[in-house]
Amino acid sequence: MTAVQDRVAEFLEGGRRNRRDIATPEGVMLPVEIASVGERVVAFVLDLVFWFGASLIIFLLLFLMLGPLLRLSGGGGTLVLGVLLFIGFLLRNFYFIHFELVWRGATPGKRLLGLRVIDRKGGPLLPSAVVARNLTREIEMFLPLGLLMSLKDAPGAAAWESLSLGAWLLLFTALPAFNRDRMRAGDFIAGTIVIAVPRRVLLADLVDATVHYAFTERQLRAYGAFELQILEELLRRPEGEDTRRVKRDVCDRICRRIEWPSPVPDPEVTLFLRDFYTAERAWLEREQLFGKPRADKHEREKAGTAR
Amino acid sequence: MTVPLAAGQPPELLPPAAIALKSSEFRRGREASWRDLEGLIARAEKRGIATLSAAELERLPLLYRAALSSLSVARSIALDRNLLLYLESLAFRAFLVVYGPRIGFLEGAADFLRRGFPAAVRAARWHLLLALLATLAGLAAGYMLVDADESWFSAVIPAELAGGRGPASTRQQLLDTEIFQPWPGPAQSFALMANFLFSHNTLVGLIAFALGFAAGVPTLLLLIYQGLSLGAFLALHAHRGLTVEVLGWLSIHGVSELTAVMLCGAAGLVLADKVLFPGRYSRLESLALYGRQAAQIAIGAMILFFVAGILEGGFRQLVASTPWRFAIGGATGAFWLAYFLSGGRERRS
Repeated sequence: MTAVQDRVAEFLEGGRRNRRDIATPEGVMLPVEIASVGERVVAFVLDLVFWFGASLIIFLLLFLMLGPLLRLSGGGGTLVLGVLLFIGFLLRNFYFIHFELVWRGATPGKRLLGLRVIDRKGGPLLPSAVVARNLTREIEMFLPLGLLMSLKDAPGAAAWESLSLGAWLLLFTALPAFNRDRMRAGDFIAGTIVIAVPRRVLLADLVDATVHYAFTERQLRAYGAFELQILEELLRRPEGEDTRRVKRDVCDRICRRIEWPSPVPDPEVTLFLRDFYTAERAWLEREQLFGKPRADKHEREKAGTAR
Repeated sequence: MTVPLAAGQPPELLPPAAIALKSSEFRRGREASWRDLEGLIARAEKRGIATLSAAELERLPLLYRAALSSLSVARSIALDRNLLLYLESLAFRAFLVVYGPRIGFLEGAADFLRRGFPAAVRAARWHLLLALLATLAGLAAGYMLVDADESWFSAVIPAELAGGRGPASTRQQLLDTEIFQPWPGPAQSFALMANFLFSHNTLVGLIAFALGFAAGVPTLLLLIYQGLSLGAFLALHAHRGLTVEVLGWLSIHGVSELTAVMLCGAAGLVLADKVLFPGRYSRLESLALYGRQAAQIAIGAMILFFVAGILEGGFRQLVASTPWRFAIGGATGAFWLAYFLSGGRERRS
């Protein structure tokens, strides 16, 4: 069943998304889509922007409140910088951990892109897992970033040292590119994956209770579930010049294949396709219930069912 | 393969005839409950699960299970792609709401301090022992090296961390500029020094933890190196008859700081252990299972680093008396020991 859906998705969207099944505690397999590296990077950059904005606002407030005090104690620039870095460090970790806990696995950046963190096995997402995957981020992301940024101040030998250390650490950063589930080191440690959660809308059933065309079983035998679902997508497309042309084309192909005796007039095309869809689905669903599922038009009749 | 078909269908429209699909009837019967669930989830996703009323919260898991069973049925009887995709997405979104974490940051932190952290440390006691042994080995080596030849000191400790100390330092210099250096004032000591030390130490700790992932070799090297520089430092002072003073100077913060370093090391070693010897799990499963425990130790060690940073940056120079320094160091040590041994244990009645 799922194989057919995968093929339909590949046919319609021109590519296969990385999918993976997780088992809910009730024992039902649910397919999830692994978030791509691109989506992850965009979400992370968005989070960085939010974090930076929040830090800036808090720094400004602190500066307004504590400015006079600092001038009195004569701490100078380095003192301010040090305190800022420390607050930034705390805010950053609080930001990621807080949102992944309260929004059930989504930071604002992930939420905007429709990404979620879930347990790899389908169990509940534990707070310790959230903490684990976010602590590791310090080493995967911010440590190499900091090292690379400190390069320009460092003298020759130290620069080489931090460059090689940075390169080695960047291997950790690039880990998601090297595994199928796009897990970074934090995901390995916490047992989590990041997925894309598409929202689907339930559309009206295409099946008409009343049909105007009748088809014989031999005619319905010409197609399988794959073609049926492609036809479904076509029928669900919004009306338009383009859609009408494709429908006409599909209608002619079907007529040729099932040897429909008379041509279908233009105004009747949608009605004909809809009736054919209804009849085909009714027949295929019945066959499936009887244990004879038919995946596509190329599937040969099984020996026992041939007549 | 084309199936030979018989021609001879009526070319004109037939009178409308009724056709019944099991999957359509199934959908008509269940659709209301799916829509109900969808509404609840949309609200929980947008405004949080707290906005659902008690009655709705009671309904949520029932509707969720109903949606799951609908999905199972639909998979076997329906070929409607939109319906199947919708049910999969609905069931999954409901799954996320029903099984998501239910606690906030503060509750999580409180539970972590009361129970999670000490329990995780106790569970990793053998790794902690190994980390301690590695540090001690480094310490002994560093002490012996510098004891035999003081020029090793500058080889072991990089110049920017040595702060002008080295084989050329005299006893009086060490006493004045280091051990009993005057207190620089609150802003300098608490904000700047404590913060610098905290950031530096935390980084070292985090590296020790995360590199456990690489089979633990870097972690052990880092621990040995920490011991090595400490040993070199001790030997330099011992040669100038300052053993007691320097121990006091170190103990005030070193008790917390070394404990934290070794906790991070132990956390890294837990990772290494589970990657190298996964037992009856796969390596990935084993890492996921124990990674959380290791991360708990590492984040707890951050708290110790914080305490150490405050003690080192702020109080070390303020408390200019060796006995008092020993007292504070001893008290923090006793506190951590009691905390790790007793925290979060089930009370026996």
